Amino acid sequence: MAGGGAQPIQDSSSGAVSSELDRERVVAAQGGDAGAFRELYEAYRDRIYSLVVYSIGDPSQTQDVLQTVFFKIFRGLRSFRFESSLSTWIYRIAHNECQDHHRRRSAPHVPLEAILGSGDEIDGRPASDDQHAQQERETIIRQALMQLPFKMREVVVLKYVEGLSYEEMSKALGCAPGTVASRLNRALAALEERLRPFAGLL
Amino acid sequence: MFCPHFLLRRKFVPYFEGSLGGESVKRVEQHLVDCEPCRHLFVRLRAGHQMAQRLQRIVPVASESPDFAVLMAAAAAPRREWASGWQDWREHLATPRVVTVLTTLVIVQLALLVVSNRGVLLGERSRVAIDSSTLDLGEFRQISIDDLKSNTQPHVATDGYVYDVHTDAEEGTVAFKLAGSPNAPKQFVVCEIMTRMPAPRDGDHVRVYGVARYDAQTDRKWYEVNPVLNIASLK
Repeated sequence: MAGGGAQPIQDSSSGAVSSELDRERVVAAQGGDAGAFRELYEAYRDRIYSLVVYSIGDPSQTQDVLQTVFFKIFRGLRSFRFESSLSTWIYRIAHNECQDHHRRRSAPHVPLEAILGSGDEIDGRPASDDQHAQQERETIIRQALMQLPFKMREVVVLKYVEGLSYEEMSKALGCAPGTVASRLNRALAALEERLRPFAGLL
Repeated sequence: MFCPHFLLRRKFVPYFEGSLGGESVKRVEQHLVDCEPCRHLFVRLRAGHQMAQRLQRIVPVASESPDFAVLMAAAAAPRREWASGWQDWREHLATPRVVTVLTTLVIVQLALLVVSNRGVLLGERSRVAIDSSTLDLGEFRQISIDDLKSNTQPHVATDGYVYDVHTDAEEGTVAFKLAGSPNAPKQFVVCEIMTRMPAPRDGDHVRVYGVARYDAQTDRKWYEVNPVLNIASLK
């Protein structure tokens, strides 16, 4: 069940293997192994980048926030005691930083096309009609998501992009699993409302 | 029409994912047969769920990733050096003159807030009333704030005075504290409204109907009524 007990984050590799690897890397990094730091950085870079871009929605600010997040991870790693899973701890740091950024910024969020185009830069080959249509659909959904308030956006990304359970989201966001579930419901209802005019295309 | 079965609505997403147990599946399906508002929400959430499933991780191109060597160098630097900018600012700000100006501003803002809220909320007093058409208030166990610790019933009704009303506009929630006495309360219970119910105001003497729970989050660990399902004014 999605809201069950704490589990390591499910990614391309098996959760248990990923968790064990994390532990080895953290212990090595705490012992001053720069290679272990690099491995951790590479293991989490894409996840954190994605969460930060979705959360703050402003490409010009992404770099600063991302640097601060990794800086805090590297600093904090020395005193990390495995009281939570590493991934939850890292998501919590990213969440706190994005939230601080969101509070500091007074202007309303405006989604920019630059965010939406980043996928094209990965694969320069011409897309097939199917791929193109799929990309278009995802772009429309992503645009609608970026119009949601920060907290709703964040819970959708953690659930559907990062695949966290309710329990993991609750730890990363610092609120009760019930609050996470309610917030997710409100976010999905808001997403549906914004995408209703495109229902035929999606 | 308002449906109070919010716990069941939280199971909709696990239902879509097929991760609910057999009993819960049955309860959700049975409820949907009987409840039109939840059926409507279910259809909307299912559409939102299906769309959200298409979202993909945004992958950085090489130029967008922070330079690992720079990060390592920064992390290895002495903490005082890293924090010096902020600390210098704090040292400049912590002069008696700045503190006096800031304190005055805060007092003026608070005074303005109190005055403006009085005007707005005086007109809303009558909105804090029992709406017994949607809830069977007889199902709620009447209990004092002090006894909430030993309560085992999910639905409770508790009396007290409202203070520290806080609105989270983004979340669409209102939280407030409920204390046994209006002056210098020693104990209180946190109450959170998650529906579009009108918020009470500071000083209101009310009976709060809702779900009793314990928030075990590290920075909380308190008893609360969450969500509040109804609020009645008391003379």
